[in-house]
Amino acid sequence: MRFFRIYKIFVAQKIKMLMEYRVDFLTGATSFLITQLTNLVFIGIIFGQIPHLNGFLFQEIIFIYGFSLMSKGLDHLLTDNFWKLAYFVVRKGDFDKYLTRPIDPLVHVIIENIEFDALGEFVTGIVLFIISSRKLKLHFGPLDILLLIIAVIFGAMIFTAIKILGASIAFWIQRSGSILQIFYGTSDFARYPTTIYNAFVKNLITYVIPFAFTSYYPAVYFLRGENPLFNIGGVVVAAVILLLISICVWNRGLSAYESAGS
Amino acid sequence: MIKVENVKKDFKKVVKDQGVKGSIKSLFNRKYEIVHAVDDISFNVDKGEILGFIGANGAGKSTTIKMLTGILTPTEGNVEINGKIPTKNRKEYVKEIGVVFGQRTQLWWDLPLVETFSVLKEIYNVDDDAFKKRMCFLNEVLELDAFIKSPVRTLSLGQRMRADLAASMIHSPKVLFLDEPTIGLDVAVKNNIRQAITQINEQEDTTIILTTHDLNDIETLCQRIVMIDKGKLIYDGTLANMKGQFGNFREVNMSLENSDEIDKLNFLDTFKLKKKDISINKTKEKVSISFNQDKLSIADMLEYLLKNTNIKDISVNDVNIEEIVCRMYGKEVSVND
Repeated sequence: MRFFRIYKIFVAQKIKMLMEYRVDFLTGATSFLITQLTNLVFIGIIFGQIPHLNGFLFQEIIFIYGFSLMSKGLDHLLTDNFWKLAYFVVRKGDFDKYLTRPIDPLVHVIIENIEFDALGEFVTGIVLFIISSRKLKLHFGPLDILLLIIAVIFGAMIFTAIKILGASIAFWIQRSGSILQIFYGTSDFARYPTTIYNAFVKNLITYVIPFAFTSYYPAVYFLRGENPLFNIGGVVVAAVILLLISICVWNRGLSAYESAGS
Repeated sequence: MIKVENVKKDFKKVVKDQGVKGSIKSLFNRKYEIVHAVDDISFNVDKGEILGFIGANGAGKSTTIKMLTGILTPTEGNVEINGKIPTKNRKEYVKEIGVVFGQRTQLWWDLPLVETFSVLKEIYNVDDDAFKKRMCFLNEVLELDAFIKSPVRTLSLGQRMRADLAASMIHSPKVLFLDEPTIGLDVAVKNNIRQAITQINEQEDTTIILTTHDLNDIETLCQRIVMIDKGKLIYDGTLANMKGQFGNFREVNMSLENSDEIDKLNFLDTFKLKKKDISINKTKEKVSISFNQDKLSIADMLEYLLKNTNIKDISVNDVNIEEIVCRMYGKEVSVND
């Protein structure tokens, strides 16, 4: 398919570019790993003092945390370009080039970049997920693995949709990086069980910016086996609705785009 | 081939007082004004034509080009190129056009130039044979061989412009939009680029629309020019015609022993000129005179000046486009008076 052929070429270009600036790449990947490790040490220290959090054991918290890193890391790997859009591509008028090529601009923005730094996040997530499942003696049948893959992919799509929305705002106000940062930042709440929050935060991350579906809800299904319709189905529904809204806003943004003087 | 009908583009602009205080004030109390960047412009372009688009900075040239290329959506009016509406049939439409913005580049900054071409080949879905032929042709016209293996970031501005021009034509577009393709280049490279543009136009019957501030670009390339000022179209026709209509002006720049010497001269009576045929601009260091050379030859002018003043330095220049625009605009105003 043409899409994959072009994607392959973009990825190849990106790899060549990384080879040009090796030191920068290695530093980036290492810094992500270190960030994840310090986060873990932090959780470790807290649970050294408190054996459990609102009924969740240390290993269960690690399980949820690992889950959140998988969907977040997957999205980060594939769609990092939206940050550049929000901060400067639109403001500087460099978005022009996406509009003069025979690829859908949204697709073009996504496939142009693959952020290998995100592998640090993604791999840490998988490792934590596997270690904690072992310690908790969780068993995954074929159906569970299928549901797991679905939950991670659609979870990543929730992140993507939020980023499209945040970046689209730049078409109207030129620079929306900080707005996107605030939206994106709420995903940190989703690393912990929603039951520890008050009703406002809980509703916010469930129904408004549904990051809870990128980690806590699906994770709790695999931990406790409760309510698959809400916990897994919710991920799919939230992702699809949010993505449709964001594409709609994006398309409106395209006609509001003002470019920049030259 | 290209139809532009009553196109308008408005921008909303924040009005700010000066300084940090003004900026902070505007953060809480925003005032907007609507700017008509392009105000009711219509024109047509035929296949194979080279159209020069001129006007002062901020006149609305780039905005118009960006509407024609589908980057901006017109606030009002229609743009149709080959029967397609740029912003509606985007994917199909952009296959038929090539775009170069002199101030930007579409090349892959960190990689050797040749990589850009191989990526664009896939993006535009050019097959291997056609691509080979095309690269041969572009190589010949734009002499890319010398730097095709160098990373784009190491190219000189002239090389980069040639590369950008090639990149915009990899898919053999029917229409080429060039926004200031000679900006910042030295004379040799400018000539090189102009030759390339002419060659492409002649060999492939490519329709070319270009904007420029360089009168030489216009003189060597364009059969026809469209001039806009403050978003309005003020002239559409040939360059020769425009010069006939608004005077074929030249400019003498000189420094005198004493600038006041110029006041003693009487051009109007000596040469029987009308007031609109000549204008004198005097500063302490410099005097510049622009005059209509159809009424007063350069030779006569120089002879008169040399005889009657003590000249330290002198040069004769073409009047630049901004000057012509000013003149045309000035004339329009005086007609309205």
